Amino acid sequence: MARPGLRKMLDAVPIAVFVVLFLYIGMNSANFLSFATWELVLKQAVPVVVVSLGLATVIIAGGDDVVSGGIDLSVPATAIICAAIVADQVTNQQASIVMALAMALAAAALIGVTNAVLVVRVGMTPLLATLATSVAVVGISRVITESRRIAVGDATVLFVRDGRIAGVPVSIVVTVIIGLAFWHLVHRTKWGMNLQATGGSRDAAEISGIQTRKFVALSFVLAAFAGWLASVFVLARGSGSSPGTEDTLLLEMVLATFLGAAFSPRRVVTVWGAVLGAVLVSALSVGFISIGVNVFWTGCIKGALILLVVASAAAGREQ
Amino acid sequence: MSDVADALLSMTAITKTFPGVKALDRVDLSVRAGEIHGLVGENGAGKSTIIKVLAGVYRADEGQISISGQTVRPVTPDAIHKAGVRFIHQELHLVQHFTVTESVFMGQESATWAGLSRRAMRDRAEAFFREALNTEISGDTLIRDLGIAERKLVQIARALIDGQARLVVFDEPTAPLSSSETDRLFAAIKALKSRGIAMIYVSHYLAEITDICDRVTVLRNGCNVCVFDQVLPGSADAMISAMVGRDIDALFPTSDRSPGPVVLEVQALCHAQFNDVNLTLHQGEIIGIAGLIGSGREELIDVLYGLKRATGGAMRLNAAPLVLKSPADAVDSGIVLVPRDRRHDGLVLNMSVSDNVNLASLHEISTLLIERRALAAEKARGIAERLDIRPRDPAAMARNLSGGNQQKVVLGRWLTKGAALFMLDEPTVGVDVGAKVEIYALVEKLARDGAAVIVSSSDPGELVGLCDRILVMLRGRIIADLETKGLRVDHLVAVTTGGQAA
Repeated sequence: MARPGLRKMLDAVPIAVFVVLFLYIGMNSANFLSFATWELVLKQAVPVVVVSLGLATVIIAGGDDVVSGGIDLSVPATAIICAAIVADQVTNQQASIVMALAMALAAAALIGVTNAVLVVRVGMTPLLATLATSVAVVGISRVITESRRIAVGDATVLFVRDGRIAGVPVSIVVTVIIGLAFWHLVHRTKWGMNLQATGGSRDAAEISGIQTRKFVALSFVLAAFAGWLASVFVLARGSGSSPGTEDTLLLEMVLATFLGAAFSPRRVVTVWGAVLGAVLVSALSVGFISIGVNVFWTGCIKGALILLVVASAAAGREQ
Repeated sequence: MSDVADALLSMTAITKTFPGVKALDRVDLSVRAGEIHGLVGENGAGKSTIIKVLAGVYRADEGQISISGQTVRPVTPDAIHKAGVRFIHQELHLVQHFTVTESVFMGQESATWAGLSRRAMRDRAEAFFREALNTEISGDTLIRDLGIAERKLVQIARALIDGQARLVVFDEPTAPLSSSETDRLFAAIKALKSRGIAMIYVSHYLAEITDICDRVTVLRNGCNVCVFDQVLPGSADAMISAMVGRDIDALFPTSDRSPGPVVLEVQALCHAQFNDVNLTLHQGEIIGIAGLIGSGREELIDVLYGLKRATGGAMRLNAAPLVLKSPADAVDSGIVLVPRDRRHDGLVLNMSVSDNVNLASLHEISTLLIERRALAAEKARGIAERLDIRPRDPAAMARNLSGGNQQKVVLGRWLTKGAALFMLDEPTVGVDVGAKVEIYALVEKLARDGAAVIVSSSDPGELVGLCDRILVMLRGRIIADLETKGLRVDHLVAVTTGGQAA
């Protein structure tokens, strides 16, 4: 706090960068600020938003140190394997969609509990534990799908893809509800405050009588649950299971969640920050396409921008 | 004991044995309702052990605890909490990005079916600060934007907000605080006392003990030594004698040195925090620097070690011009620093004693590619013996050593190098009396062996006892250069606080 002026300036960098960028894109592409474009942005953001909710919960419970704090890299893998199970059951085994979703939920629960046990009981670093489960889970999903796309023509999935409620796409409505539920749970309940305390300072939480191990364990289960929820949108977006999408989902999830921290006034990972981060990342992708930026450059520019935003947040925290 | 009847807490004949050590031997501690009861003793005397027995963290082998005449059995953390005993740990244990309200209610949030009652909690927290702690703190401020004293008050509020507390145990609450911050904490403590809450106050700072405590229990080597039923300003000397079992004058070595040629000459040195500093330091001389926080004392040491750049003036070391751009320049010129925060700046806590001792002289114990570990360990063992570092094992982790032993490791590192000028910044903060004596003897020996020494300290007694001369800084200037022969500590304090001209 030696130089409050500098800190304030650094605080404003993330918002300024995005405002300038969107103005630039808006001036160069007539359609960018249109309603249809932003509907597309939101629809594209949906799977990332939902997995980011899971990751945010784990980081909030475990602390935001990327190496030693809470992190769950297996959420996208969970979404992919759930999508694979549903697609395989519905298309290949002629199971009902409810039955298929229930089986996927059981698989997600198993992954969540495995992560929780590895971290809380065995004492593994979350980064390594969830990286390992992620690799294993992706492997199993390859076995299930034989690495091929399985199309799903189920009415529920198509409804999530194309349906509208009061003119708003179903996927957006459902995601808003999921997001509000996570936000309320994490930021507006006693349970959520205890979860935040656990991640903020494990010792402080222990001394205040909070059973921190329980909260850390539950955060992994909740993250797996988010992975299961996201699988429905993954299915809808690809009209079936689509192997190989976990890599992009993983990267965008991590970026969106930490980008969200840069926007939060306290510079910490929050539920709404993760949602905002996911939407902004998606908006950048759509925006770059709409002004005709070479697709090979998009990744480079995106990476540089995110570095800039996150670095300014880190520097602001240092001040 | 006669006062068992009207005691709020009485711990009687508590004995606790750890493998090989009798930590507590039939210790009694009795606290009356509404009093502030001091608990003093050297490190290892059993203060923390008896507090942990009271907290239910350790189970006593013998003895019993009763609160308001009711025997607590078994003594569990839960039972003690229910009986209204609260602990203010030395560590703050707060979440940096939480608000004051969130911190106060951590683990005890009030909520309805619709979610947290945020406004109600904030109002309760602010009312508590105002009414119970006699201070104003906004519930919406983030912890990281608060000063240390305010954080301490938040910690206290968290322990007391449920209104059930009858006895509060403070463990070294002022260790990280400046004197004005300490005053603020004391105002809160007095406010609590006026509400009839009894307190146990554990501290190394005897001046604070005599300042606020009604009665004091002194422990030594796990035994009761005595209870002071009345505390007077002059009781501190008697307490020290009781704690160490020897006289206070014995703390400081006798000096029979005569200064040699000039080692360090500083002329008109300037920096943002101080102005026009002149000093001359001879071989075999120990000079002290006194000054409150903000007097420029810390910054002067930083500039003399190359941590901060001077904005003007000149320095000469052994008659050669001295330019310091970084601590590496200082070390190369033969200037070394024992920093004030040894845990952060002085030691690599996760490295062994041997690694820490050899940190500054790696080139001597290693060739280009190979570190000669046997030589390093031997050297470390030599230092450990010379300085009586316990445990003797060079492979022991630095983090497991007591404060006094850690400080000896930091000193030992520079002894392996040899230096012309030693600077010690707050060398005995958090160090027990026994280790203090050893550190003082070591400093004296450094000077006798021909080094020049600068001691910067906030402990006036230490400066008077240890140094030949004391430079007093006030608001960025040296306002006095005092000979310590015949100097009285209270005179130094008066000059340091600006209350009296030199």
